[in-house]
Amino acid sequence: MARTVSMTPGLASFLRSLKNDPVEASIEHLISLLKRRQIHNSRPCAIATTQLLLQVVAEFKGKDSDILISRVRHVGQKLITAQPREMAVGNIVRRVLALIREVIEGDEVTEGSPISESPSSIQPLSTPREPSHHPGLPSSISTSSPLDHSGAGHPIDSSPHPSESSSEAISSVHRPVLTASHTSYSTAAPLATSLFGLFSRPETPSPASTPRGFQSPRHGDNPPVPIHQLKGLTITDLPKPVPDDFKADVLDGIREILDELDQVDDQIASYALDHIHSNEIILTHSSSTTVQKFLLTAAKKRKFTVLHVESFPNDHKNTRATMVTGRKNQGQAEEEEDVDDRFSPLTAAGITVVLIPDSAVFAIMSRVNKVILATHSVLANGGLLAAAGAHAITKAAKMHQTPVVVLSGVYKLSPVYALDLDELIEYGDPGKVVNYDDGEFVENVDVVNPLYDHVPPDLVDIYITNLGPHAPSYLYRIVQDHYRKEDITI
Amino acid sequence: MTSTTPTQPSPLHNSRSPSEPFDIVTTYHHLLSADPDLTMPVAAIESLVLALSSTPTLTISETLALLSTHVATLKSAIPNPISLSAGTDLFQRYLISSLQRPSSPDGDFESVRRHLLTNGRLFVERAKQAREEIANFGRHFVRDGKTVLTNGGSRVVGSLLQSAAEASAGSVRFRVIYVLDSDNLHACTAAEHEHRGRAKRLEAEGTATVAGLRKRGVPVATIPSSAVGYAMGEVDMVIVGAEGVVENGGIISRLGTYQMGLLAKSAGKPFYVVAESHKFVRLYPLSQFDLPIEQDVLRFVADETSGKSGKGVEFTDEAIDVEDGKAMKKNSIADSVDFTPPNLISGIITEGGVLTPSAVSEELIKIWF
Repeated sequence: MARTVSMTPGLASFLRSLKNDPVEASIEHLISLLKRRQIHNSRPCAIATTQLLLQVVAEFKGKDSDILISRVRHVGQKLITAQPREMAVGNIVRRVLALIREVIEGDEVTEGSPISESPSSIQPLSTPREPSHHPGLPSSISTSSPLDHSGAGHPIDSSPHPSESSSEAISSVHRPVLTASHTSYSTAAPLATSLFGLFSRPETPSPASTPRGFQSPRHGDNPPVPIHQLKGLTITDLPKPVPDDFKADVLDGIREILDELDQVDDQIASYALDHIHSNEIILTHSSSTTVQKFLLTAAKKRKFTVLHVESFPNDHKNTRATMVTGRKNQGQAEEEEDVDDRFSPLTAAGITVVLIPDSAVFAIMSRVNKVILATHSVLANGGLLAAAGAHAITKAAKMHQTPVVVLSGVYKLSPVYALDLDELIEYGDPGKVVNYDDGEFVENVDVVNPLYDHVPPDLVDIYITNLGPHAPSYLYRIVQDHYRKEDITI
Repeated sequence: MTSTTPTQPSPLHNSRSPSEPFDIVTTYHHLLSADPDLTMPVAAIESLVLALSSTPTLTISETLALLSTHVATLKSAIPNPISLSAGTDLFQRYLISSLQRPSSPDGDFESVRRHLLTNGRLFVERAKQAREEIANFGRHFVRDGKTVLTNGGSRVVGSLLQSAAEASAGSVRFRVIYVLDSDNLHACTAAEHEHRGRAKRLEAEGTATVAGLRKRGVPVATIPSSAVGYAMGEVDMVIVGAEGVVENGGIISRLGTYQMGLLAKSAGKPFYVVAESHKFVRLYPLSQFDLPIEQDVLRFVADETSGKSGKGVEFTDEAIDVEDGKAMKKNSIADSVDFTPPNLISGIITEGGVLTPSAVSEELIKIWF
């Protein structure tokens, strides 16, 4: 925090170096940053991954989409191995893979309607790292986009739009054109996803295997295709003409993901008035920009009380900084180009904010009307990983029948099923709990400091993503919309 | 539940080859006994394919009428038609919806019919393949150091556990608690002996699974179902199979599954169901006694002596449709099933991935509407 930002390795330095370094060096750079936890938390990881994959795709020279897919997959494998607990990395890689498949299949189905034409709301980044050979881009916009390198140091803190345009941005891209989200069901072999998959026709009669067992009399001469052959028959396995501009479409799509990362807080905040009512007592936890923006949006219209749990010992400094200044205390303020009212604290909007220690959660829960939580990542079964303490809060909320609202961008939603929860929990620096100076104590007592909690799905009442509010049991569907089954294990 | 009343065979049905009438029930039983790996829905599908091929039909409505006749016959002859109705429903819906798709180049009747007739074995193979896919995916749920509780003779669960054991190649690090009620079977009355065949087979399957697991080096404990609550403290997860997965995401499974679900829920242990997606059935039971089958589980007997001979005064629930005197055979206690509601289920592992119980209705809606 004390050092100047330009010296601190992190997202800002990575994004700055990305435009100059060759792609391979950038990949290695990001891997080392992830391994050293110099980029951590979902959104910085997501932004870094997306920007890197943008470079990877832009640099890709061939015409063969299969090679591009395996290239992206390979890079994704390396990144995920570097830091498997940052699930946002894997999510973005899978999104990009799904995007590539989408573009290829979409071009097959509807020739001549490339994706780049459709979404007028795309705001591509006009940055020097833009590949020059890419003609199809609208060339404008975004001197104010924080994702270009000038503002890139504060991906968490900076909101995408100056506030005067943010409401417009919300309305115009209320539901951004996610190329991966809508078309997948219509184009990608509908029969295979349905229960009718059992009956789907064999593509080619293959003599490969004769079934064992009872042979019905009429069709012994027509050996069926074993299913594994059919399953493997994705469209990419077939030789096909891939249009030359598929790369441009993919790049556009990746920029859309960047755009989504940019706007996700505003989009989530646009639902605030539906969920926060006058004179309510809201309990929240840890320092999350998403939650702050959500509360701030509601505070423009309504008066309510916020109880802020400090989340000692990992996030309490940021939590307090958020209460005072409206933003995290990451020592990067000097680089922020404009400190405007985007980061006004809730108190400035006339909201009563009360800081409470983690231990007081249960005692005060009986007076709380609603719990609003941020999350680290959301699992496909509707459970979530959030800052340590979240489980205790949701348990207390359950006890008092208090509704629990979880705010999460879709990019945090992971298709990975939580097979072993212990593996997902990361442990942090025990020195934050007990000072290492306290030699006698440290020597005799084991100190653990888990960073995250797993909250099971039945403790959450509703998720609000940038696509809107969803029941936890519905999240599987959003997963299906955004990721391809074949990409789930990378 | 679709109608289970046997309808009058259509004239067309009667008019075909008078010498050797096609008997769907015999075919179904023959298929099931010939291939122990066959599930009931798939056997029903296979029987319908054979029924279609045995009777030349020319028009769509003729075919559909023939199918529904056969389905009704089959359902009325089986004490518990829930599982097989998943297969017959799927088959009939497939036929109808592929004929309704106007855009499809294969939409014409002749082509659909030929497809169904020639690829019957393919469907069976796919269904079996689905089981392997589930095993391959689901074995990741069985982690090192875990203790898995399971019951019944489900082949999917058996292959999942064996696949997990094989994957850990020699150094198995999980344990299995298997609920096997072999003792309770001896308590069944004389009237139930005719049903003992299937019950014995299921029991044998459970025993075979246990033996197979032990051969692969998995420590297995077998317990009676009365010990489930006792054992729950040692259990990390429950994995069960299902005869049918109903519309609300609940399952219909062997008697005793429901209480395992309740106990797992109260102990906070995850309760996973493994089922192929062809077992999804359009049925919305509201309680245990809402199933469209008759079960001989609750037999109230007032007379002590006659109770032992099985001729006691019986108060059975007559609300379930028993029509035209041709009452369905009752499900014996060994064959009985119960309904596990969706709120007890953590996830349904299908060949298409892990679904939440609420996803089942969507899959069914996709094929029905």
